[in-house]
Amino acid sequence: MAGSVPQRATALIRPAPVPGRHRSGAPALLLLPFFVLFTAVTLAPIGYAIHLSLYSEKRSGLGFGGVQRVFTGLGNYTSALGDQAFLDGFGNLALYCLFYIPLMIGLSLLLALLLDSALARAKRFFQLALFLPHAVPGIIAALIWMYLYTPNVSPVVGAMESAGLEFSMLGNPVPAVVNIAVWEWTGYNMIIFFAALQAIPRELLEAAVVDGAAPLRVALSIKLPLIRPSLVMACLFTVIGSLQLFTEPMILHGAAPDVVTSWTPNMYAYTAAFERNDYGLAAAASVLLALAAAALSFLVTRLSGGRSGKAKGAEA
Amino acid sequence: MSPFPFSRRRSAHGPGVAAVTALGLVTLVACGAGDGADSSARKGPVSITFWGWTKGTQEVVDAFNASQNDVRVKFQEIPAGNAGGYAKISNAVKAGNAPDVFNVEYPQLPDFVSRGAVQDISEQVPGDLKSRYLPQAIRMTTLGGATWALPLDIAPQTFYYRTDIFEKAKITSPPKTWDEFRADAQKIKEADPQARIATFFPDDASAFEAMAWQAGGQWFKPEKDAWKVDFLDEGTKKAAGYWQKMIDDDLVHVAPSFSQQWTASLQKGRTAGYLGASWGAGVMGSTLPDQSGKWAAAPMPTFDGSAASGMVGGSTFAVSKDSEKAEAAVRFAQWATTTEASIKARIKAGASSAYPAAPKLVPVAKSAFKSALFGDQDLYGLYSDAAKSIRPGWAWGPVMGATDGSLKDSFAKVQKGGDITTAVREAEKATTKELRKRGIKVTG
Amino acid sequence: MSTATPTRPRRRQAPSHRPPALDVRRPRHWSMSRATVNSVLLLATLYMLLPLLWLLTASAKNTGDLVSGRTLTPDRWHLGENLANLAAVGDGVYFRWYLNSLLYAGGGAALCALICVAAGYAFHVYGFSGKEKLFGLVLLGVLVPTTALALPMYLLASQVGIVNSFWAVFLPSLVNPFGVYLARVFCGGYIPGEVLEAARTDGAGELRTFWSIGLRMVMPGFVTIFLFQFTAIWNNFFLPLVMLSDTQLFPVSLGLYAWNAQTHAFPAYYPLVVTGSLLAVIPLIVAFVALQRFWKAGMTAGAVK
Repeated sequence: MAGSVPQRATALIRPAPVPGRHRSGAPALLLLPFFVLFTAVTLAPIGYAIHLSLYSEKRSGLGFGGVQRVFTGLGNYTSALGDQAFLDGFGNLALYCLFYIPLMIGLSLLLALLLDSALARAKRFFQLALFLPHAVPGIIAALIWMYLYTPNVSPVVGAMESAGLEFSMLGNPVPAVVNIAVWEWTGYNMIIFFAALQAIPRELLEAAVVDGAAPLRVALSIKLPLIRPSLVMACLFTVIGSLQLFTEPMILHGAAPDVVTSWTPNMYAYTAAFERNDYGLAAAASVLLALAAAALSFLVTRLSGGRSGKAKGAEA
Repeated sequence: MSPFPFSRRRSAHGPGVAAVTALGLVTLVACGAGDGADSSARKGPVSITFWGWTKGTQEVVDAFNASQNDVRVKFQEIPAGNAGGYAKISNAVKAGNAPDVFNVEYPQLPDFVSRGAVQDISEQVPGDLKSRYLPQAIRMTTLGGATWALPLDIAPQTFYYRTDIFEKAKITSPPKTWDEFRADAQKIKEADPQARIATFFPDDASAFEAMAWQAGGQWFKPEKDAWKVDFLDEGTKKAAGYWQKMIDDDLVHVAPSFSQQWTASLQKGRTAGYLGASWGAGVMGSTLPDQSGKWAAAPMPTFDGSAASGMVGGSTFAVSKDSEKAEAAVRFAQWATTTEASIKARIKAGASSAYPAAPKLVPVAKSAFKSALFGDQDLYGLYSDAAKSIRPGWAWGPVMGATDGSLKDSFAKVQKGGDITTAVREAEKATTKELRKRGIKVTG
Repeated sequence: MSTATPTRPRRRQAPSHRPPALDVRRPRHWSMSRATVNSVLLLATLYMLLPLLWLLTASAKNTGDLVSGRTLTPDRWHLGENLANLAAVGDGVYFRWYLNSLLYAGGGAALCALICVAAGYAFHVYGFSGKEKLFGLVLLGVLVPTTALALPMYLLASQVGIVNSFWAVFLPSLVNPFGVYLARVFCGGYIPGEVLEAARTDGAGELRTFWSIGLRMVMPGFVTIFLFQFTAIWNNFFLPLVMLSDTQLFPVSLGLYAWNAQTHAFPAYYPLVVTGSLLAVIPLIVAFVALQRFWKAGMTAGAVK
């Protein structure tokens, strides 16, 4: 491993415990800014969301006589979970992930392996070109693709029509959103995988080649296992990112009615809050979403062996 | 309520007539009275914030600010209500930093009232002010016996169509009945297989609601202490069946309203008509600058051939719950909805074809409005007739957010095995559920 | 080695320096796959670049041509006109948004990186009771979807009275638990304990040591966190969407969204949205191209998002 291990990696194993008298003050001072802000923008809102989710607003009669806030316990949670639209949102999300994650991770891995192979030309150019979409803010990416999906506007749809192909992206939200996300994130993950591949000690690969292993075999049985931690990390972050899906479907919503107002759980919470003004329900939906995210991330780290990724960080 | 005492309001409300004090709330006193002038000299003008999106609003605000020195309106343009504007307002109300006055369309007003986002302005709106507006508009801004907003415009549904495409399809006059409309739709499709007579908007529940309204539907009936909710009445069923058949037979496009797709289709002449509202003419003028003189407007077709109309949108000015400057806000709203100067400013700006809710202003609007798109057609004459034919009895429920949300979501499926009748049934269920959840009484 | 280890940025090892051994024994059929490999890469590149190319041509179209999808020809070139309109609308509010974005993203990312590095450094260097529990809390923070927090954060902010202000967007963007995690990992990789001990025996104060030695040594980590956070803030849309109503405070993303909503009523906004998008993307692309060395090093080092 000598080639790739940082020379100072030993320091990892050995934090530098510090003797001396003044150290009680210094760590507190260094940690304070982060934890104050962390409390203010993460912990407090979570607490507040849980609090809000336990209340509902009630009116009486025709509904024009004023509003009362009443404690409803888990009522908002049962409402959310009993609402087909909310469950459908998770369904859409699951379907989206089912296509998006393998497709995007697979594609970025393939591209990284191709780039890593000795056969690729103009590597720097390809790396940069493939990465560029990531420099495009999500909302702009969604806008561009929305135009490219729109019949009469898009050259792509035009070309497809003249070739006799009829497939309405605007009528099929899952492929439409998956495509945007793949476009945005493939290059990014490809760079990460490529970086990991480049860090593989050359000696290992040379040995394999000398042994006569075919490139595909080298890729699958040597390279892949070695960059597994990167893969796990990428998957984890893709899962967390996917659960937050909002911007892209929100933009498409204006052009594609199939992207309903509750197309993702996040959109459901947004709609509940700002269109139906049911802040209790919105808070409950947010809490449920956060729980789902935590559960899934846990699952991903567990499935991948648990010792890598995050867990490792805690021990670092 | 404001802690300040206020004197009896007088009947004259023109800006030149009343002197105004500026004590956080504006008090209208006698003509030329010195006491009012004194206090305004001391305190300076009352500053109020206003959020809106209707066309020409900036010009109206500028004209208002220029016309007097007592109230300064700070205008902020927000996205159209259903395009995020309402979310923004709700947001701000919840956060306690709402503007003093904002625009709400009729369908959403009961929702805003029901969740306590707007304040009762009955006190600031005396009977003779109410009498300046069309009674339909007053009915829709009076809920539970109190006045909640001042109406800006009313928006009778109107059929706009391309005269040249109609001629090419050998249609000599616009359809008077829905049967004729269907026949014309077929002719247009025959003349150009890519063209359709109009578009069904799956994203815009209010377009279909106007059609149900026109056919005699009455989804919400406020009774003494409860709402009678019945979406699938005869009128609605008729409208739902008719439009589903149009969609099934591929006689209309299905595309979101004001989407790129829709606009592009209009530009390319693949959409020959638009079932819009009075304000639609102004919008189209700016959408289709290349089609001057090719468009005409006609009254909505009906099932039995006698004039009837529903409304799509239509805006009001409401005062937010926490505003302590209600009187100044109402004064501005009144100016913006009842004065000639305001309607001139609005319409001169170019893109507005709002049909004023104050009948006195119609001639002013008519003479100020210019549209190359429609040649010299007298649109305001048409709107006047359409306004008279708006069916009475329709009321908007207090959870239109839920109602429309449900409709939109099921309308998305009308081309894929869903149908409008089912969508309406689903919406009724969702609405009743939401009403009950909020503790509002429902019968029927 | 886990990803947690900053694999040393291999800056000096440009692709051309790859071991020649791989090229030496090249079976015959490889010449075939060389074409395959490169054409796959080319195809992927086309997929990535064509939408951007479309944006480029679309921003030279006027409303009518844009909406009708007419092909761009030199005689229908309206880029100048679109740019002029962009500058004119709302008294040049677009450039104000631009400036705001730079401020939110630039200032926010710099401060955030500093805060993260400080915390990560403390986690690395010091031992104190409950340290790993505290760090576990940070890691949990990574898992909370930020969009789920936006709404309650909004309601809280409104109680504090900072909604619709610069701070409402700026303060939340200073926090990135993942940055703390990265910073700790980076400190592990870059700051040998001996150096700190040496500094201490020299009698330097703890904070001084952090500032003049720790921070300097972990600079690559700082830059990495800065870049991550910069992109994240620049791209953030949900938080400004709920927090801001004053257009003067908008970042570019939200401004373009608002304009896009306006296209419903004013089609003249179509070219503004497209041209505005192009202008918003160009500097990012230029920055990414120019700073290639840095972000690649950063991503290699973290080998994570």
